[in-house]
Amino acid sequence: MERNFKKTIASLDGVFTFLEGEFARHGPDPATAYALTLAVEEFFTNFVKYNPESDHDVTLGVLVEGEALVVRLVAHDVNPFDVTATGPVDVSLSLDERTPGGLGIHLSRHMLDDVRYEYGDRRSTITLVKRLRP
Amino acid sequence: MFTITQREDGEIVLTGRFDASRVADADAVLDRVTSTCRVNMKELDYISSLGLGILLKTQKRLKTSGNELILTHMNKLIRDVFRIARFDTIFKIEEA
Repeated sequence: MERNFKKTIASLDGVFTFLEGEFARHGPDPATAYALTLAVEEFFTNFVKYNPESDHDVTLGVLVEGEALVVRLVAHDVNPFDVTATGPVDVSLSLDERTPGGLGIHLSRHMLDDVRYEYGDRRSTITLVKRLRP
Repeated sequence: MFTITQREDGEIVLTGRFDASRVADADAVLDRVTSTCRVNMKELDYISSLGLGILLKTQKRLKTSGNELILTHMNKLIRDVFRIARFDTIFKIEEA
């Protein structure tokens, strides 16, 4: 199922409600639901921050593909900007050296099976994949 | 729904979903903390990278004066997030 959300942080409550409804239909375990929710929040907020040139809604879709639950976020009429292309975060640094930058992408990569970025027809698409069975 | 409150004994209590839209609420309470205090997460269901960032910022500030946040009653899902972020090495986490 797909739904459009206004590209603003205030949409997050609606995004979470939509995801909860989709997870209730597809039945992922709590860890899978948490991982996908965290990643959706991360990339939705990145669309809000890094695509100010467009006020088009963000499209969010959830579907089962094979044995995986897949969530797609699409930002429309935007310039290419691959938010997944950041380098690895060094999580071994001391407290003094740690910064929050890149943490959301680090978590998404480690909690999901795949995180992909594609660009075409002035659309940025983030695809999040989590297998429903190990 | 997210709430952050500080009890009379100083303990901070987080409940609900700590996401990017709640950063200002959390900042308003955590920015006032000047000494070591416990953060009770018993009823916290979710925290994202933005929430982790607020806790990190507060911990860095408190450590400069020899104080810290001590996190308590963390559920398993949130504990896993802390482990993957290696935040379990920079926060004292007390088991439930």
